[in-house]
Amino acid sequence: MAKWGMVIDLETCTGCQACTTACAMENNRLPGENWQDVLFYSEGEYPHLNLSWLPRPCMQCENPSCVSVCPTKATYVDEGTGVVLVDWNKCIGCKYCMVACPYGVRFYMDEAPVVQPDVKATYPGDGKRTWNPPFKMPDEYEDASKGIGIQPKGVVSKCTFCYHKISQAPEGVADLDEDNPETKEFTPACVRVCAPKSRFFGDLDNPDSYVNQLIADKGGVRLKEETGNKPKVYYLSGGGSPVVPGNRSRRS
Amino acid sequence: MTMMTDTAPGAPRGNHFAMHLVVALVLLAIGGGYVLYELFTFGKVQFNTTNAGIFWGFAIVVYDYFLLTSTGLVMVASLYYVFGLEEFRSVARRCLWLAFAAIIGGVAVLFLELGNPFVAIWATPLNLQTASPLFWKVLLVAAYSALLALVLLGKINTREDKGSVLMIPMTALAFIVTLVAGSVYGMMAMRPMWFGGDVPVVFLIESFMGALAFTVFFSHLKNGFNHGNMRPETRLLFEGTLARMFAISIGLHFILHAGRAVTGLWSNAEGMQVWQYLVANPLFHFAMWGCIALPFVLMVLKSTRSNGMIQILAAFLVMVGLLISRYEFIIGGQQVPLFKGTWAPELLHYSPSVGEWALLVLAVGLANSVYAFAAWQLGAEDRA
Repeated sequence: MAKWGMVIDLETCTGCQACTTACAMENNRLPGENWQDVLFYSEGEYPHLNLSWLPRPCMQCENPSCVSVCPTKATYVDEGTGVVLVDWNKCIGCKYCMVACPYGVRFYMDEAPVVQPDVKATYPGDGKRTWNPPFKMPDEYEDASKGIGIQPKGVVSKCTFCYHKISQAPEGVADLDEDNPETKEFTPACVRVCAPKSRFFGDLDNPDSYVNQLIADKGGVRLKEETGNKPKVYYLSGGGSPVVPGNRSRRS
Repeated sequence: MTMMTDTAPGAPRGNHFAMHLVVALVLLAIGGGYVLYELFTFGKVQFNTTNAGIFWGFAIVVYDYFLLTSTGLVMVASLYYVFGLEEFRSVARRCLWLAFAAIIGGVAVLFLELGNPFVAIWATPLNLQTASPLFWKVLLVAAYSALLALVLLGKINTREDKGSVLMIPMTALAFIVTLVAGSVYGMMAMRPMWFGGDVPVVFLIESFMGALAFTVFFSHLKNGFNHGNMRPETRLLFEGTLARMFAISIGLHFILHAGRAVTGLWSNAEGMQVWQYLVANPLFHFAMWGCIALPFVLMVLKSTRSNGMIQILAAFLVMVGLLISRYEFIIGGQQVPLFKGTWAPELLHYSPSVGEWALLVLAVGLANSVYAFAAWQLGAEDRA
């Protein structure tokens, strides 16, 4: 059984948001409600300004608070991959998982759109689907029990680490790398399109995986360790510098 | 059919329940009609909750407000039915029916807020997610409501006010439901505004205080807001023990509320910045001084607590103040985005939409309809 994890190198990430776009296309996301987002931070006052950024997918925690609080076990950890998924058939839309997620990476689509114009109105859904985007994954990939496909009404969704891809990967493979023809098709969309190659995806339980090597050699750290959620997304920040850029708390 | 009530002999009985029912049904039609129209026409897009950070909006505020009012009313009723305080006999039955009415109103709002309420009915009990406080809350509220209905079933059109054996587990459930409702927020370590072991205790005190306010208000409503119409023993209760209990609970609420505000202003933990916003808001001070401090003074002073109109005023202020406090607590806990870039707003702004206000009207209308019908037809106000 693999324990898939991701490493994001902040030293090479350019904040281009190709990952955000690829994720939105792959997973039928609404504009502004990105499973994979890039957060921007501006620090200082003009002319001494610094702009920095932080790519933020779901942290796919080992001890996820969203799973603990879900009253129906709709949110669960997939045993085969360690990925946190949502069973849309059991989700009651109580949004407790959204309240409990320290990283803000869960989405409910029945509400006012985050950005205008409201594309849901342009491409209205049919049946249970919230909307009907012109781009969408093939129907055979859709799996409501894993929160894959076009989000239905009344449920919460989240990043699946492109479960429909990684779950098809050959058994025992240490890393899913877009440069490797054998694993290219099984690599998550955000990793595959990353132009500066800042994202790496592999088995955290495999001592030979490149992600483990990166974490060990470059001092990979996780966000909000104090929550005890144990994310499976690691950041490389060149050591010393804080992972989350800037003075997040701007209390005067 | 002549029945005794807590109205003084010879005084007009205030048989106005039919009128009460009509007014309540009008409110229900207005609130419910508007909400259903919005939900069927536009969906929940009309609510002002968003993925930006305010996930639980005014609907949850209303639900928790009615739920805690209900459990508090059972606690007040238990003072007679379980703990044998004879002087609470005159209000015990009324409290039970009001508790039932409140839980119906609250749960109706919750059903309109949830994404898939009917899935919740089977998915919650069958999946046994015992780690989730919400799992326990759903199960306990269901058991509490069922038990309350069962107890009241035995009281329909009877004048007997003997305690039922079911009252003991129901009282226990009322306490546990209240504590678990507090835990739903208190366990959220990632949200410092909510986090803390004191939150369930705060909920317990607020629940009891709110219930006393509702008891006072509806007892006066029953008597046409005429203190003189009350039976002497009921009047004595309202000027004595109940008023003192009311004052003590308001005092405790004030201390806890002020304590949380002061520590919140002092703390620099991420999320606590919201206290600066809350305390700078006139609504906070209206609730703090007008709806907590003022009623406390009115209930402490003998000259004012024995005045019927002052009792009604104090009760009304507490009812309003509790709704404001509940709103500030639930919304305030979400106003500082947990993990956003600096381009996201430092503080999320939220105000209920018309549709969300209509949920409150719906809940008030529905709860009052249940109570007024019970008083009119089911003997909710009759006693031996």
